[in-house]
Formats: sequence, C-alpha cells, structure tokens
Amino acid sequence: MKREEIIEKLKTIVKPYVNNQEAYENMNESSDFIKDLGVNSANLVDIVLDVEEQFNIVIDNPEMERMLDVKTAIDIIEVKTE
Amino acid sequence: MIGNDVIDLEATRVQSNWKRPGLLEKLFTQEEREVINSHNSPEIMVWVLWSMKEAAYKIYNRQTKLRSFIPLQLICTIDVSCSTVIRGVVKCNGFIYATKTVLDGNLIHTIATVNIIDIEKIEEPENSNVIKDTSGIPYQLIENEMYPVSISHHGRFYKIVSLKYC
Repeated sequence: MKREEIIEKLKTIVKPYVNNQEAYENMNESSDFIKDLGVNSANLVDIVLDVEEQFNIVIDNPEMERMLDVKTAIDIIEVKTE
Repeated sequence: MIGNDVIDLEATRVQSNWKRPGLLEKLFTQEEREVINSHNSPEIMVWVLWSMKEAAYKIYNRQTKLRSFIPLQLICTIDVSCSTVIRGVVKCNGFIYATKTVLDGNLIHTIATVNIIDIEKIEEPENSNVIKDTSGIPYQLIENEMYPVSISHHGRFYKIVSLKYC
C-alpha cells in the first residue's frame, strides 16, 4: 500500500482518540500520537487494534512498542501490506 | 525519583472498552490477567494495574530517557491489597519501583518511587512553581533549587506529587 493511502486510513482510525483537534487537522508523518495529537496512552492500544483490523495485519509487541508516531505506524503498515 | 498516575474511572468508561477482544493481551502479562480475572471487580484491577505501569514508566523514562510504549515490559506484582490501598512493585528491565495506589470512589491514584521508604514521604504541593526541562520533565522551583515532581491529570482529577525534603 502507498504511504498516502495509509495515512488517509490512519487519519480515520485515530480520529476518535484525538484530543488536539488543530494538530489532528495538520496530522502528518512527524505527528506524535501522544505529544501532538493528545491521544491518551491507554488509547494507543486501541489504535494498534484498529490498525490490525482495518489493514488486516498483526502488529507484534516489538512493533507496538515503537508505534508512538505516525511515521513509525506507516513504516510498520507499509511493510506488512506490500 | 517519583512518578504518579491518576485515573478517573468515569472517564475511562467513556474513553476505553477494556473488554475489547485482544486488548488485555496487549497490555498485561498472563499473571496480571489472572490477577484481573480473579479480582471481585476486574474493571478496577485493570485500571489499578494500568496506573501502576504508567507511574513506574514515568520514572523509567526519567532514568533511561527512553520513550516507548512498553506495557508488557512493566511487570506488576501486588503485595498488599485492601479496598482502599494497594501496595505493589513494578519491574522493568532490571529496574524496580515500589508503588502505592489509593482508591477513592472514581479516583485511582498511584505513586511510584525508586526507594520503598520514599513512598510514605510524598507531598502534594500547593501553589507550586512548576518548570519543565528540555525533555519535558517537570520540576518544582523552590528558592532557585529544582526538585522533581510528577504531574498527572485525567477526567476530573489533577494530582501533583513530590518527595518531602527535610
């Protein structure tokens, strides 16, 4: 899958967990889920589970540990949806 | 070194569904899931253990400067538990933290320290002059000296804690 397609889908996924609407509207590869988008750390796991469901992939634990920002999330999804 | 984490149970009911399939497995070890499932309120135990992990992670992050989402590496054990106070330990990659969790209605508040004796030397400073260093770590400024504090807010609750300096 192309990175542009992935980020569009990711934007829909993270929407319900975002607490900073302005940062969400400007969400890009450098956005950090917690620091920028204001996602509650307890909801990071929901993003991981939603990504698994929506992209039909499995995110293992070492991958989840790195998934703190949009770029890393896209990197992980990109490899798995090749 | 000090870390804390506050949880508003009512807010968690809006923000999270801890019963979501696959969720507990990504956040809690098998032993922790057994503690959750054998508790008379699994919901409360989910958030007690989560706040223990979060409070301990704040110290771990200060000590190592490492930032990652590592719930399964923060391993909780509970030593003493009653209906209002839960004492335990969180281990993470060779580091060990003592924790004390206070339950009060919808409030869950965990304090973590490196030294177990410090856990009873906690203050909740009022009117504190808080500044942050370049890593975003908060300190209280008292007579030009910097003392570490830990701040947590969730839902209706806000808690700032520091170690008592005698």
